[in-house]
Amino acid sequence: MELYEYTAAELSAMFRAGECSAEEITRSALDRINTAEDKIQAFLTVTEENALETAKSADKKFSAGETLPPLAGIPIGIKDNICTNGILTTCASKILGNFIPPYDATVIKKIKTHYMPILGKMNLDEFAMGSSCENSYFKKTRNPYDTERVPGGSSGGCAAAVSAGEVPLALGSDTGGSIRQPASYCGNVGLKPTYGSVSRYGLVAFASSLDQIGVFAKTAEDAALLYSVICGKDEKDATSVRREYPDFAADISNFDCKKLRAGVPKEYFGPGIDGEVRDSVYKAIELLKENGAEIREISLPSTDYALSAYYIIACAEASSNLARFDGVKYGYRSEKFENLIDMYERSRSEGFGDEVKRRIMLGAFVLSSGYIDAYYNKAKATQALISREFASAFEQADLIITPTSPTTAFKLGEKTADPLQMYASDICTVTVNIAGLPGLNVPCGLDGKGLPIGMQFVGPHFSEEILLKAAHFYESLRGELPRALL
Amino acid sequence: MPGIDVKKIARLSRLLIDNSEAEHFQREMENIIAMVERLPDTSDIVLRLNPEDKMELRADKTGPSLKRDELLKNAPQSEAGCFVVPKVVE
Repeated sequence: MELYEYTAAELSAMFRAGECSAEEITRSALDRINTAEDKIQAFLTVTEENALETAKSADKKFSAGETLPPLAGIPIGIKDNICTNGILTTCASKILGNFIPPYDATVIKKIKTHYMPILGKMNLDEFAMGSSCENSYFKKTRNPYDTERVPGGSSGGCAAAVSAGEVPLALGSDTGGSIRQPASYCGNVGLKPTYGSVSRYGLVAFASSLDQIGVFAKTAEDAALLYSVICGKDEKDATSVRREYPDFAADISNFDCKKLRAGVPKEYFGPGIDGEVRDSVYKAIELLKENGAEIREISLPSTDYALSAYYIIACAEASSNLARFDGVKYGYRSEKFENLIDMYERSRSEGFGDEVKRRIMLGAFVLSSGYIDAYYNKAKATQALISREFASAFEQADLIITPTSPTTAFKLGEKTADPLQMYASDICTVTVNIAGLPGLNVPCGLDGKGLPIGMQFVGPHFSEEILLKAAHFYESLRGELPRALL
Repeated sequence: MPGIDVKKIARLSRLLIDNSEAEHFQREMENIIAMVERLPDTSDIVLRLNPEDKMELRADKTGPSLKRDELLKNAPQSEAGCFVVPKVVE
């Protein structure tokens, strides 16, 4: 078995036992990138020299007998909408095609203080707007389980790279499902944490009240290790929350399934959900039940309105957030223009792709005079309604189980012609962002075509510990899933 | 559903939409708006801030900030420590 095939927890143990060096781990990942990247196209930038330098410094500290944090020497990929000092951060957009941030996002600072080598920047849908990674200006990432299919999105590069063994871990962002849906399509564990538990400082904003940085990993334990590194209050993000964050990995095996009350909302298993996906999630629920979990049917009646509320709120915020891209301070400026306004308009029109333009315009529309009450304010009220329904569901359940996405990975080009079809693939995930809750994808099987199916655990605010423990326990019941064959 | 003037929305968004694009953007925007119109009756919901949900602001004191020269490196055009834009005042 090659080093790149191990989990982060296994690599960490091997590194500490002196069985392999951080440099060997990083070189194994870089070799894997060299062989797999032609087919997968997950990276926008590979930062080989930086990664090796960090790995060597972890090795030096280990040899000197210094105490190192658990993920020291374990390499990672970063979604290209998270600012990395001195390294291109493009958001997969022409408008930021040449942007080199002069500072690190808070999560990157944390990754660096843990001596984790950064292997590079991962592809995404432009500005994280999309569900297939096909909206990238630069390239189309492929699903390692079937390279004719999409990896999901928007963090498609992260999900595909973890699944292909190019990176053991990755950081992505999730505004309406952008971690969980690609994790589902590529067979990873993907955790979208509680809003406010991870600093957003240095994450290029899409919809600030919904965006959250989170993790991709091969296992729940690896996700717990990485989440423990990035969570916490940051004074540079006023929405980040000060509280005690435990070490999520230390106690992960300590879980009593007999004490688990799991809610199963009928609205998430309706006709829009593919039969194989439904059966697979039900089978996983049955397995938890056989092991003592109490399964309760619950109802979240406003689920049907979530997609509308989500697109209104997210696009309203995007139209404001993306006003900063004007060809003045950074990024692309059109070559020909007649005056200042003309320069703004040409730079933006040439720099943004069609999906980003649609969302900016939808946002401008729902906020415009005469429409704000009918759309934006009503969507905000619907958000309150959905949050309330979750709160009452959590009175009778410790966590809620749903499919992560209505289908498995679809073919490249299959949904690009109709934005609404693409939006529908977020139906099971957007509610979680609307209510600011943590959500986790754990793979629960393969469909008849050999494509991964994902199950979503949703918990109350700051319940990451129980989500990760339940997922870790479920993995032990499920056993190994077949890996992507490249 | 309200009529959508896609050219007007584009103008508000500082985007240029030429005639060849206007038709498909118009159709797509109409479809998207038809979808997002599906919202429940929320007349009994009063939106208010949650007092438990305090936002913790940092102390208002000066600290190190990014260097001007570093910031200007990303500017399409700069001169004498300033961003350069087309003339705005006659």
